[in-house]
Amino acid sequence: MITMDVILKSLNEVGTTVLYVLIGTAVIESIMYVVLVRLLKWRYAMPVMLLTPAIIGLGALVVYPLIWEANLSLTNMSLRRFRNYEYVGFENYVRVFTEPVLKTIKFFPLFGQTLLWTVINVVFHVVGGMILALLLNRKMRGRGLYRMVLIMPWAIPQVIAVLAWRSEFHYEFGFINIILKNLGMQPVSWLLDPTANFAAMCITNIWLGIPFMMVILLGGLQSIAGEYYEAAEMDGASGWQRFWKITVPLMQPVLAPSIILGTVWTFNNFNVPFFINQNELETSDILVTGLFRAAFQYNRYGFSAAFAFVIFAILVIYSIFYLRATGTLKGIRD
Amino acid sequence: MMEVLNKRYSLPKVYFRKNTYLILFPEEEKMSKKLLTLLSVLMIAVFVLAACTPAATPAPEEQPTAEDAPTQVPAEPTAEPVMEEVTIQLWTKEGETDGGLQYVQSLTDAFTAANPNVTFEVINKEVETLREDFQTASLAGNPPDLLWTVSDHAGPFTTADLIMPVDDLFDMSKYVESVQLNGQTWAVPISSGNHLMLLYNKDLVPTAPADTDEMIAVAKSITSGDTYGLVFNQTEPFWLAPWLGGFGGAVFAEDGVTPTLNTPEMVATLQFLYDLKYTDAIMPAESDYNGADTLFKEGKAGMLINGDWSLADYKTVLGDKLGVAPLPKVTATGLMPAPYTSGTYFMIPKEVAPEKMDYIKAFVEFATNLENQTTMVTTLSRLPGLVEALSIPEISDDPILQGSAAQMSFGTPMPTVLEMRCNWDAMKPEQIKVLADQETPEDAAAAMQAAADACIVSLE
Repeated sequence: MITMDVILKSLNEVGTTVLYVLIGTAVIESIMYVVLVRLLKWRYAMPVMLLTPAIIGLGALVVYPLIWEANLSLTNMSLRRFRNYEYVGFENYVRVFTEPVLKTIKFFPLFGQTLLWTVINVVFHVVGGMILALLLNRKMRGRGLYRMVLIMPWAIPQVIAVLAWRSEFHYEFGFINIILKNLGMQPVSWLLDPTANFAAMCITNIWLGIPFMMVILLGGLQSIAGEYYEAAEMDGASGWQRFWKITVPLMQPVLAPSIILGTVWTFNNFNVPFFINQNELETSDILVTGLFRAAFQYNRYGFSAAFAFVIFAILVIYSIFYLRATGTLKGIRD
Repeated sequence: MMEVLNKRYSLPKVYFRKNTYLILFPEEEKMSKKLLTLLSVLMIAVFVLAACTPAATPAPEEQPTAEDAPTQVPAEPTAEPVMEEVTIQLWTKEGETDGGLQYVQSLTDAFTAANPNVTFEVINKEVETLREDFQTASLAGNPPDLLWTVSDHAGPFTTADLIMPVDDLFDMSKYVESVQLNGQTWAVPISSGNHLMLLYNKDLVPTAPADTDEMIAVAKSITSGDTYGLVFNQTEPFWLAPWLGGFGGAVFAEDGVTPTLNTPEMVATLQFLYDLKYTDAIMPAESDYNGADTLFKEGKAGMLINGDWSLADYKTVLGDKLGVAPLPKVTATGLMPAPYTSGTYFMIPKEVAPEKMDYIKAFVEFATNLENQTTMVTTLSRLPGLVEALSIPEISDDPILQGSAAQMSFGTPMPTVLEMRCNWDAMKPEQIKVLADQETPEDAAAAMQAAADACIVSLE
């Protein structure tokens, strides 16, 4: 129960941290003001002063951990060598590709599972999101209500939604098997059977991901001028032709970033594969859950750090490739 | 030009930055400045006030009464002459469901009532999360001050040199056998047991079966529709371990660290579990912990295999219908199943601040004194860690605890070495495959051994 004591204590802890941040920022800004504005009278003093707190914050929260992680990836740190670890060069990076990263599964099969997981989910997200967006992009009664209902999965905290889904996949008491049994079908072992468990993960994530795609695509659809469709209709274009020749090309600027975002999120999705895979089936693991297990279940810290950098590299390569292919950053460079 | 105009006349101020004009009317500007100043002052004041708020101190009315306090505070733990404010962060694996967390909090509240300068921050973590978080927090140099956890955590914690031995801190002769590794004791027992046993619903199973043949016969007689003869968590090897002992097997060789999973005993154990499910058909097609628990509580399962941690809950739900007995003898071998025994323990992190040490010692002794151990027996239905408390009437007069104690006498101490982690991880997927009819017991045993061996290599 949240008592006044708990509230005061939380405020105390948060307040102390924020106070330190405020004091630290004030001190840094004062020093910079004296040095850059009063003494040096530098013309870029103001932007530098504004950027400095953010740079320090990012440095402490992102850059320092990255450097620490890179350092760790060159060591043999594990539970056995928790305090007395040694530097082993790039040995961990070699082991990522040559040894099992989990109990028995090696890197490339796990990477294959991750790709399969990502492709299935992103395809269903885009197709499902597009269908719903097209349906909602018409004049109809109760459109706002439909939109609200359809967006609800996105509004539920992901972990809670996933745990609820896991309960529904229960063999005895889950509603899916109850429905199957009532229809005279055999119940499915969603949590133990490897294929069924992978399917359960996909079902949950598709349910969770469609609303995001729907909202983004609906925004894109609403920005397409009706004149295009009117002209096409007058020229005798069919519904499919209008969709394929007008909607899809004009949706490209919206589709490209949402697909890239969706791909990265799905590739890195931890909650769904981790919680739905209650029984730790290796066939349902993807790279990030494998990374978590390697680090925190098998305590292979040095190895896990190298593993994390390999995953990071994959995503960086993907992003660069995609950004070049779509020219998303072209406008910024120009 | 614009600035000159602004100065001479009371015109709105126009600021031009790059491509943007910002127009502020004088009143608006004054107001926005005032508002901004006011907001800033308010924000800083809130944080300053919050930061200066003294740590939560227990209100007098929250002090435990004779009824709800675990005990009167003994003289020993009372504060030393130095009365500095101390906060002890205690991580516990006890959750709210069975009242464990409430019991821990009642102990800390009672201790604080007697030592107002000592406050506790009790944090509940699921068993595995506690282990992972403690390792991570230790790595970051910010571990908690005290742990209330299970014995098998001692393996990883001692390997990583994260906890301290307790031989020199406490009189360990007062307690039941504790966690021994490398010739030292690493934990103080709070409760002993943590073992599996046979729980039965007397409406369906009037008397506990003596051997596995009888168990199967009774279970068959009551299995029909959605009622099952026997349920247990089929997904965790902790439930396989007793039967392995019943077939004469063990997970480690004599040296205590070499896995012995690919053995005829393991094959026989897996075959036995397979037969219970498919040949005798006395178990549900699939059952995890919660599934088995629900079936038993709903009266849809005659027998359940579960641990002593669940007794209090089942006593509440089933009342007099609940029976507790040792797991029945394995007919094929004539051996009693040997569930792992351990318990819950206090472990003290190595990095604990020296100024907190006296209070931590005092609290551990306080929590494990006779009165509090008696309270734990009655509240949580767990067997105590204090030897003196094993003979209290609250145990000898309670048939449930008698059954639990009888089962414990057949138990075997759970290995706490780091290699056990590899065994658990190796056994789990293969056990699941056998019980899903996806693998033969022979293949499963071989796969278990291979996985455990590979895991042990990776530990280095």
